[in-house]
Amino acid sequence: MHPKERRFGATRREFLARSGGAALSLSTISGILAACSNSTTAGTAGTGAGGWPLGPGGIPLARPSHPVKMKRWEAPIPSGMQPETGGTFTIFNYPAYIDPAVIKAFGKKYGVTVKVTPFDDITTGVTKLASGTISPDVTEMTPDLLSRVVAGKLVKPLNLDYIPNLKNVWSGFQSPYYDVESRYGVPYTVYSTGIAYRTDQVKEDIPNLKPNPWDIFWHAQKYTGKTALLSEVRETIAMALLHRGITDLNTEKASLVNRAVKDLQELYSICNVKVGDLQYETIPENKAWLNQAWSGDMMAGYFYYLPNKQTGKVLRFWNPGYGKGPIGNDMWCVCSTSKKPVLAHLFLNYMLDNGVGYKNFVDFNGYQPPLNEIQPETLVSKGVIPQNLASCVLTESDFGPKALQEMTLTTAGQSLWQDGYATFQSGA
Amino acid sequence: MYPRWLWPLSALPGVVWLLVLFLLPFYAVVCVAFGSVDPILLTAQPAWNPSQWNAGWVNHVLQLLAPGNIYWDVFIRTCEYVILSLAGCIVVGYPVAYYIARHASRTKSLLLILLVLPFWISYLMRMLAWINLLSPGGYGLRFLSDTGISSLLYHAGVISDPSNYLGGESFTVILALIYGYIPYFILPLYASLDRIDRSHLEAARDLGASPFRAFWHVTLPLSKTGLLGGAVLITLPMFGDYYTPNIVSGAPSTSMIGNQIDLYFHGGPQPTIGAAITILLSAFLMILMGYYMWTIHRASREVPV
Repeated sequence: MHPKERRFGATRREFLARSGGAALSLSTISGILAACSNSTTAGTAGTGAGGWPLGPGGIPLARPSHPVKMKRWEAPIPSGMQPETGGTFTIFNYPAYIDPAVIKAFGKKYGVTVKVTPFDDITTGVTKLASGTISPDVTEMTPDLLSRVVAGKLVKPLNLDYIPNLKNVWSGFQSPYYDVESRYGVPYTVYSTGIAYRTDQVKEDIPNLKPNPWDIFWHAQKYTGKTALLSEVRETIAMALLHRGITDLNTEKASLVNRAVKDLQELYSICNVKVGDLQYETIPENKAWLNQAWSGDMMAGYFYYLPNKQTGKVLRFWNPGYGKGPIGNDMWCVCSTSKKPVLAHLFLNYMLDNGVGYKNFVDFNGYQPPLNEIQPETLVSKGVIPQNLASCVLTESDFGPKALQEMTLTTAGQSLWQDGYATFQSGA
Repeated sequence: MYPRWLWPLSALPGVVWLLVLFLLPFYAVVCVAFGSVDPILLTAQPAWNPSQWNAGWVNHVLQLLAPGNIYWDVFIRTCEYVILSLAGCIVVGYPVAYYIARHASRTKSLLLILLVLPFWISYLMRMLAWINLLSPGGYGLRFLSDTGISSLLYHAGVISDPSNYLGGESFTVILALIYGYIPYFILPLYASLDRIDRSHLEAARDLGASPFRAFWHVTLPLSKTGLLGGAVLITLPMFGDYYTPNIVSGAPSTSMIGNQIDLYFHGGPQPTIGAAITILLSAFLMILMGYYMWTIHRASREVPV
């Protein structure tokens, strides 16, 4: 054998012996790993005044009982400036979550080309924003992540002089508890989380189910393979908490979260539950019969995914009602990377225009903007939505002080919820 | 006479490619697994310097991979799906590759084109097509019902609902994995079978071997490297697959280890766990890869020059 020719070949016995050696050496890996530091904390949580827990960047966790006025990390743009023109204006958003006709009209009005850069979900979106690989002008945002993007200086403080249409929104959203004085964002859509189902397949009277309509998932043997939950960490576990009658949807008690996860795991054997976010499509198309869903899903399903008119009559959405089920809202923020900050402000104002908001809602999105002009009775009486889906429309009273909203958790709390969801998702 | 540096130089693009597009990203994943998380934005902060590595996340995942813990169950399920899918690919793919290599003469080119035809359509699109085929009223579902296959599978306990293949069935996930990956299995196997010298088979027959014994003692051993090559080519991506179970099932009861990686990388405060699962899975796959390389090397040494 030439000295440069290394002998790679080995007999089966040698191979097995070496594999065994490799396996044994794995045990020594733990010794090597022990030489490294051993921490599994993603961040530190502290408490602020009165022992109230702090979130990202030391910003107190916002709750209806503890409104948070965030400091402006830089001065807002001055008033009275002219909007930037020409070039591209980039919106960072969920895919298909804004009417192309609406953004086209905005581009035409201000002489810019409007481009939508989509993200899969908002947490991935924030990760992308933080990476600096994209530089949009405006971004969709959720209240639970707002303090994080503010602390990370990913969004700019607003100058509300450019957003007079803020007066069009429900009063609670003109200075919401999670962003007192609307310093960083304005509302986009509102929704509640409930149960979407088909009356031709699901015979139970879900709204009147005692003691708790959420229990339907634990009695869904008849709907095996046709039952699904939202594939969202917070929503899924929150539903299991509500099933137990627990309304603190921001709990960080491990015992409560772990029991909720165990309850969710029961659903494997009960109905082989699925997870996904396509309920706006699968319910109208009869691929699913019983689904945890957002209120906007059934409206989008009614507007765009009906295989025939008859199906529209069998769609239902159970809205848990004020203080009994999760509600939420999406927002718009101006990105700190924006090269067109004035135009970005004007975009926020544009989306709060009564006409634009209504068009975006009924012509494309299906998710309702919290505009005073949109009333459930009007939508039903005008025939925009059928009576059987009137429960999908929310009113300002749904967002009162006792409303249940999934809000920012401490980092440890987020890890607890994520691990719980991962356990459920593992099918173990 | 070529200069001595010419051939090593020709390997340079490949080496650079490997360094930039594999080793560097892989090292980045390792550094994420041994790194930390930004306390504000919860983004991964890789520890590029090994002296600063934090093994906490990897240890945490190692503990959860122990029997009885969550990753153990999902890992075992993944292994079952991959092994059954591989078996399905062999059962379906070997005869196809054998036929094309040994018996298709005039139709060989056409059959090879048909084999690579699925590559013209993206994997995702092909998987999405199954949704329509297996949906209520879909042609695939109708075919399975009309031919009695659904009834057979149901009575054999393979599926729990003959009218709902998309309701979270392990069978559907395995079927989709076979469907999605089988072209990658057949092509290297075909190449291996096509290279077998017919005189070996003729010699076996001349010495009195039956067609089956000739296949068993000559063709099969000589196609072992192709079989292993195809197996490696499909099992490695199958182990990391998460979109196939997502698309055709969506049920946690059929999730694979890739779904856990996706979940932790997708957002939230623990991307480090996603990276830790990734590197531990890679370590496991390296053992399989080592066996493949050992077999290939031994086979190449046994080939007479």
